[in-house]
Amino acid sequence: MATRGIDFARLSLKDALDLAIFIEEEAKERYEDFASQMETHHTPDSARFYKFMAGNEEKHRAELAERRGKLFPKDPVTVSRQMLFDVEAPDTDEARTFMTPRQALTVALRCEEKAWAFFDGALKVIKDAGVKELFTELRQEEVEHQDLVKAELAKLPADDRFKTEDFEDEPVSHD
Amino acid sequence: MTLAMPAPVPTLQAKDFRSDLKPIWCPGCGDFGVVQAVYRALAAVGRPPHEIAFISGIGCSSRIPGYTTAYGFNSVHGRALPIAQGIKIAHPELLVLVAGGDGDGFSIGGGHVAHAVRRNIDLTYIVMDNQIYGLTKGQLSPTSPRGLKTVTSMYGSLEEPLNPLMYVLSYGAPFVAQGTPADLPGLTAMLEEAIRYPGFSFVNIQSPCVTYGEESGQIKAQKEKMKALADMKHDPTDRIKALSLAQDYGRELYTGVFFRDPNPPPTYDALVKARQAELSANALPRQNILDLFLQK
Amino acid sequence: MTTDLVIGMAGSGGDGIVSAGESLIAAVATEGYHAMMTKSFGSQIRGGESSCRVRLSTEPVLNPGGTLDVAIALNWEDFLKFGGELPVGGNTIVIYESKTGVAPDKLPLPGVTPAEVFPVPIADMAKESAKTDKAKNTVILGLIAGWFGIGGDGVMKGLRKKLAKKGPELLEANERALAAGRKYAQDHPLKTPRVMERPKTVSPKLLTDGNDMCGAAAIFSGCQFFGGYPITPSTEIMQFLSREIWKYGGSVLQAEDEIAGIGAAVGASFAGKKAMTATSGPGMSLKTEMLGLATIAELPLVLVNVQRGGPSTGLPTKTEQADLYQAAFSAHGDVLRPVLAPTCVADTFEITVEAFNMAEMYQTPVVILSDQEISQRKETCDPIDTSKFRLVDRLRPANSELGTHYARYRFTESGISPISEPGMPGGNYLAAGIEHNEKGAPISGGIMHAKMNEKRFRKLNPIRTRRDLFQTYGDPNAPLALIAWGSVAGVAREALRVAERKGVKVKLLVPRLLYPIAEEFFNDFLSGVQAGLVVEQSHQGQLYHIMKMVLDLPKGLKSYARSGANPFQPAEIVRRLREQAQAMHQSGDSMPQEE
Ligand SMILES: Cc1ncc(C[n+]2csc(CCOP(=O)(O)OP(=O)(O)O)c2C)c(N)n1
Ligand code: SF4
Repeated sequence: MATRGIDFARLSLKDALDLAIFIEEEAKERYEDFASQMETHHTPDSARFYKFMAGNEEKHRAELAERRGKLFPKDPVTVSRQMLFDVEAPDTDEARTFMTPRQALTVALRCEEKAWAFFDGALKVIKDAGVKELFTELRQEEVEHQDLVKAELAKLPADDRFKTEDFEDEPVSHD
Repeated sequence: MTLAMPAPVPTLQAKDFRSDLKPIWCPGCGDFGVVQAVYRALAAVGRPPHEIAFISGIGCSSRIPGYTTAYGFNSVHGRALPIAQGIKIAHPELLVLVAGGDGDGFSIGGGHVAHAVRRNIDLTYIVMDNQIYGLTKGQLSPTSPRGLKTVTSMYGSLEEPLNPLMYVLSYGAPFVAQGTPADLPGLTAMLEEAIRYPGFSFVNIQSPCVTYGEESGQIKAQKEKMKALADMKHDPTDRIKALSLAQDYGRELYTGVFFRDPNPPPTYDALVKARQAELSANALPRQNILDLFLQK
Repeated sequence: MTTDLVIGMAGSGGDGIVSAGESLIAAVATEGYHAMMTKSFGSQIRGGESSCRVRLSTEPVLNPGGTLDVAIALNWEDFLKFGGELPVGGNTIVIYESKTGVAPDKLPLPGVTPAEVFPVPIADMAKESAKTDKAKNTVILGLIAGWFGIGGDGVMKGLRKKLAKKGPELLEANERALAAGRKYAQDHPLKTPRVMERPKTVSPKLLTDGNDMCGAAAIFSGCQFFGGYPITPSTEIMQFLSREIWKYGGSVLQAEDEIAGIGAAVGASFAGKKAMTATSGPGMSLKTEMLGLATIAELPLVLVNVQRGGPSTGLPTKTEQADLYQAAFSAHGDVLRPVLAPTCVADTFEITVEAFNMAEMYQTPVVILSDQEISQRKETCDPIDTSKFRLVDRLRPANSELGTHYARYRFTESGISPISEPGMPGGNYLAAGIEHNEKGAPISGGIMHAKMNEKRFRKLNPIRTRRDLFQTYGDPNAPLALIAWGSVAGVAREALRVAERKGVKVKLLVPRLLYPIAEEFFNDFLSGVQAGLVVEQSHQGQLYHIMKMVLDLPKGLKSYARSGANPFQPAEIVRRLREQAQAMHQSGDSMPQEE
């Protein structure tokens, strides 16, 4: 239930583009938040990965924004990000203190799969040919992203067999 | 709920309510979702941050005002509601939000809840209910289930949990809802509605603690078991029905509005204003106040 | 050979620095050393920066020590966040994770040239030996064992116990990490060896912190009820009791707030049981009302207030001594409430037993004013001979006193009236917060009120003559004096040692009864004193001002006070003391020359 109130059957190309931009923007911000959480909680490797993901999302956002600018240079935005939370962005609870890069990548992979499912579902109701084309393209991109993340995952060494809990300090009481 | 497309674009954006302070919350804490929903709900309501007073007690969850751009007051443990009531009565034009944990609200601050409810002061009280004490390292909370083993209940708790929904409903709160960061659109809509409601509104948020909470309370588990009251065709104007559903707190996870009084009773702050207007008509001029003691 | 070593380490919570410290202190305790460990953390709940200091010695350790002998940084950024808590000096051996990329001659320690610097590939060694870089903390324990000859096998013994349930894989990994650290140390000897001298005798030691010690003492004293509410840094008392007290027929109530917590304890005391509550600053503020009730109803009660930085939420995890006024004076009406302060973990046992005895003997609430440092630091102590303690029970009425003529608040010579309890036939009475007559019936007249006040004050007179609640050190005829209480007393005792070594004649008074002021005893100590300092960790210097209120202080006795979380060092106390003496001398007052 990542979004509310989008009537895909009546979605125009302009609104669809804006929506796609918001989806990327949301994902970028969530990854930035995660990176910052990892930094404040001494989990630097995963912080680096989340920053990398934020960079990717920003790149996609910029590409879409450029397209939107060319197609509809003057038309105002009429959709909002209000009810859009985690189409492509990870759920707010997916980060963990001391998560390994492998765990961080797994989160990202799930997100790409989730985004694929979103576009796939939407495509079943979309009528507008232009929107259909855009969403088909975006759905395909998600496949590529999945492959990218999977390739990264394959490069990572396996996590070792030990749990951080068996070495780390106890949590601290603050009041 | 369906937003008509094209949707109105709020003039204020969620980011306008987000401060630069970095949360100390543990990654994965439910409160991260709650604060996102709060940003959006406030953007939807559309009052600028400087017209909002956001009051809290002490606890992990009570850090939330600092993460917004509103005027914040991170007060003392259990006393957010008294302070918030003072603010609202003294300055009724402000939008007043109150937030805290289950311990802050229903243990040490429990006595204040009933009185804020019965006064029907127009504010929104958000409890991030994680059934544990987070900030002090995992002790029993008033909403912890019976039998829970914690550092202060080594051999299992001997007490029944308190039911926040019943508590607030039975004192007559005109707006009572329950949400979860497992459904952020739902939570956002509910918060917006609560804030807009003219009177005391209460939102219990099942916001899990990843560090000390039970597995069964985490977002993943919640997604499995949550049931939207709207899907159950619950009529939120029926207080008795709401009470009956609220009894399932702790067993079932219902989300949505339990009760919304369709005829909002007058608020205390409105009554104060009316009384001030009525009585000020025949007041002595301030500089003549001592004439009250004049022997004629 | 080294006889005293202060090790400070810092890293992230994930590095397990503090848990390494815990393993180390447990191990050296079994080797017969005296040791003390303090910890400090960043503001995150889990995954923040963390640090600890372990000081060990062949002699009793009085305080956590000043400049480090050994500084271990897994990460410089984290290490530096602890600033003055982990001071590095010219005599320090610095060991750090070489992965940090900092060159040994470019340490981020401006103005300091450490004695020796070792960049060690700690994470790589962990990975190689234990197959996980998480075992960094165990490698560090190996390095310490190798270079300083401490821990080592004791650490392994401890880990075997701790990890017994986790299976052999984890244990073996730790074993290999420890061996790797030891080997590295052997291959890279220190220029100037600093192997710790072995203690002359190895006797079994206790190892615990002030909060657990307080809980154990409560059980020993016969405490049957604890009512409280979690608050840092006192929560562990409740946690300890909630594990142990049931075994002795007692119980713990985690109440809905501090008022309810102390309220239930007052109730348990009325019911005839020894009862206790514990809290810290913000909770103490809430308990004031019930303390007044216990005073006028003359009910025994022990309240532990573990001080943290205030006011309000203040510095919840740091130590301060700014709650003395509150402990002594937070009341309306005429109230005299004894305040006792332990000076270290071992002393917490004695002071807690004393508090229960005093509460029972005089039917009054007694405050134990501990502080964050004592309550949460770990310390070795020699076994305490519990047979030397006499436990006091409240004076109960004889059978002949019971019946319709029983007067709960009977005026007696001592001011102590025999107290009955529900269930005792013929002892029925009304306990109340309202002023009452001897039989407990409410009154509103001035004459009876004055008599009752007089009785409630008179009964406490004997505690002012309790010399055993004061410790003195140094030359009794010294013209220079130090006065310190609570955790600062340990620093002052070391300052005295430093001064004596320099030939400065000083004496030290450590009051463990802070209120009421034992006038006679203070005056005895202060007679002949020409200059001195009352050393306290608060902005105001609260004991100094209470002393000033009650006593005629020598002109040269001044307050040396500063806000909490800024620990005193022995050397600076001595410096300040000499300055004070100098100032007195210059102002024309005769002052014997030192040195
Ligand atoms: C008077 C007082 N008593 C106790 C405390 C310590 N304290 C701080 S937060 C807290 C409870 C935290 O639990 P909750 O309110 O449920 O919030 P959470 O941290 O779980 O979000 C306690 C006991 C305090 N700050 N003040
Ligand atoms: S301790 Fe629990 S409630 Fe507090 S921040 Fe961490 S996860 Fe959240």
